[in-house]
Amino acid sequence: MSVVVEYTSILDFIGFNSYSLMDNQYYPFLDEYNLPYAISYGLWKIIGGTIAWLINLIFPGNPVSEWLMGDGASTLFALIIFMLIIFIVVFVCTLISLWMERKCLGRMMDRRGTMIGMKGFLQCVADGLKTFMKENTIPGKVDRMTYMWTVSLVIGVSVLVACMIPLSGRWFVVNYDTGLLIVMAFFALAPFFILVSGWAQNNKYSLVGGMRAAQLMISYEVPMLIMIATTALLAGSFNIGDIVYAQNDNVWYFIPQIVGFITFFFCATAESERLPFDIAEAEAELVEGWQTEYAGMKWGLIMLADYFRGYVACAMVTIMYLGGWTLPIIGDGPIPEIVFLLKTWFVFFLMILVRAALARVRPDQILNIGWKVFMPLSVVNLAIVLLLKVGGVF
Amino acid sequence: MTIKYLDKYPKNLAKSLWVLKPQWTVLKLFAKTVVHRPVTVLYPYEKEWVPENYRGRPGLIFDKCVGCGMCARMCPTACIKLVDAEDDNGKTVKRPQVNLGRCAMCGYCAEYCPVDAMTVTPEYELAEFTRFDLIYGPRRLNYEGTTEGMKVKLEVTLPSDIENGNPERRVSLFDLDRPELIDSKCIGCKKCAKVCPVNAIEMVEKGVNEKTGKPILRPVIDNGKCICCSNCVDDCPKDALEIKEVL
Repeated sequence: MSVVVEYTSILDFIGFNSYSLMDNQYYPFLDEYNLPYAISYGLWKIIGGTIAWLINLIFPGNPVSEWLMGDGASTLFALIIFMLIIFIVVFVCTLISLWMERKCLGRMMDRRGTMIGMKGFLQCVADGLKTFMKENTIPGKVDRMTYMWTVSLVIGVSVLVACMIPLSGRWFVVNYDTGLLIVMAFFALAPFFILVSGWAQNNKYSLVGGMRAAQLMISYEVPMLIMIATTALLAGSFNIGDIVYAQNDNVWYFIPQIVGFITFFFCATAESERLPFDIAEAEAELVEGWQTEYAGMKWGLIMLADYFRGYVACAMVTIMYLGGWTLPIIGDGPIPEIVFLLKTWFVFFLMILVRAALARVRPDQILNIGWKVFMPLSVVNLAIVLLLKVGGVF
Repeated sequence: MTIKYLDKYPKNLAKSLWVLKPQWTVLKLFAKTVVHRPVTVLYPYEKEWVPENYRGRPGLIFDKCVGCGMCARMCPTACIKLVDAEDDNGKTVKRPQVNLGRCAMCGYCAEYCPVDAMTVTPEYELAEFTRFDLIYGPRRLNYEGTTEGMKVKLEVTLPSDIENGNPERRVSLFDLDRPELIDSKCIGCKKCAKVCPVNAIEMVEKGVNEKTGKPILRPVIDNGKCICCSNCVDDCPKDALEIKEVL
């Protein structure tokens, strides 16, 4: 009790424990420095210290103020702010890639693209507001529980996998040893829910869309996994950080794996259901594919989830082939996060280029390309990497 | 299996890589539109350049007009009507009034105007709230800043001219036609002289009527002044005048 009374100024409360955040006994990242957690910890020091000071002003010497400044409570609230920071950064990056798609696609078609505020960026905000204000229509004959659960899971899994992409060696959520595999697993989970959702909507367009999503997943998952295994073989680890630093030590992997880079790029485009492989959400032939029965806010979030998945696909290409957040001579550099995002947006630009240039592909052609071209090419890539590995180049 | 699949395509590698060609095209277009601007013109904020003789709404130079009614006669949609208007001296004169609700912006009035008083203008934003507002009176038709290009000239070359080795363009159609008198039909009523807007017709005495003792009057047309508006032909009660081609 007497401890709290000694604090008099607000500054005493804000700087309540002067030791560094790594010394906190509940520090969640073991012995690694984490930049977003450091930011959120500092933020909570200011916010929680102010709250504790205010409570102490009214009820001097109370246990709540003491609890707010303790190790456990500060870690808990810092983790909440940490989650918010991670999500907001990914969200803004996705909005920027959405803006980039609209603007670049406009320029590639010799038109202007969006023009509302900040060179068209605020159009995303306007669209979001518009979908949130729409009526939440649910058709009468759908299987309500599955209908609602699957869409939540599609969106939730997409956001989760987008948040799990590390932006740099100091900006991550969890530093797994099997990071790439887990990202890939969550990335491949969404098409399953799309299939279930297409069944639950009791609509022929949705069902066809869901079936197509499943067939797309089955045919493109295999080459992608083979190529992920190839990269892991080359780097000697599934850990994302290890893969990136292995590329920094030797060369970026798109040089030895040029076949794999091109194949993985197209597989990732297909896996995130972007044009020209968007047979699941085929606006031209199926009304809106598997999203036909979703209205208003749900549709807007699904659209956003699509872009989350596009962002994840680009980030995976960046991590596996373009050296992640490192630069050739500089290495990590002062702002590796920005370097990583710039590379990701460059890959996204390539995706936009492919979208603008190529016509859509028929479902049977997609299966042909997937099984008869990409699958053998990924095996060829694996063979090349094996030769390099056995020959002692890497 | 890959080889079997690729066998469907030509052996030529450059042809097999057809996928790359549209991407290169799109990239070039992207570079072009980033450096310059896209073709889209943001209409209400920026407007496209219009040529000097752009066929917008008709314009009128009030003091130059002689009120001959050529525009009203030539108008394909019959939107021009001659109305009474007061000129600067307070005298009542005939001037054209245009109903822009019917105007097709064809520019014939400007082409056929013998004195170049009717012009085309580059004004094309003509929306109004009522149909009555669309009727432009003679004073409202006036357009500030009329240039030479707006007075559209009708330039023609006749096939007969080319055959005769004179392929120069005739600047005005009104050099080609002139009203001509059929003497036996004329009763000397002076009506043609009254309706002529440029006073090109003068009634001349040609002898004396033997029965009544009154002078016989016949119109003499001054070809230098005549603008060939054919008002005299229209108003002649006995069809004694007709338009003939002068070659």
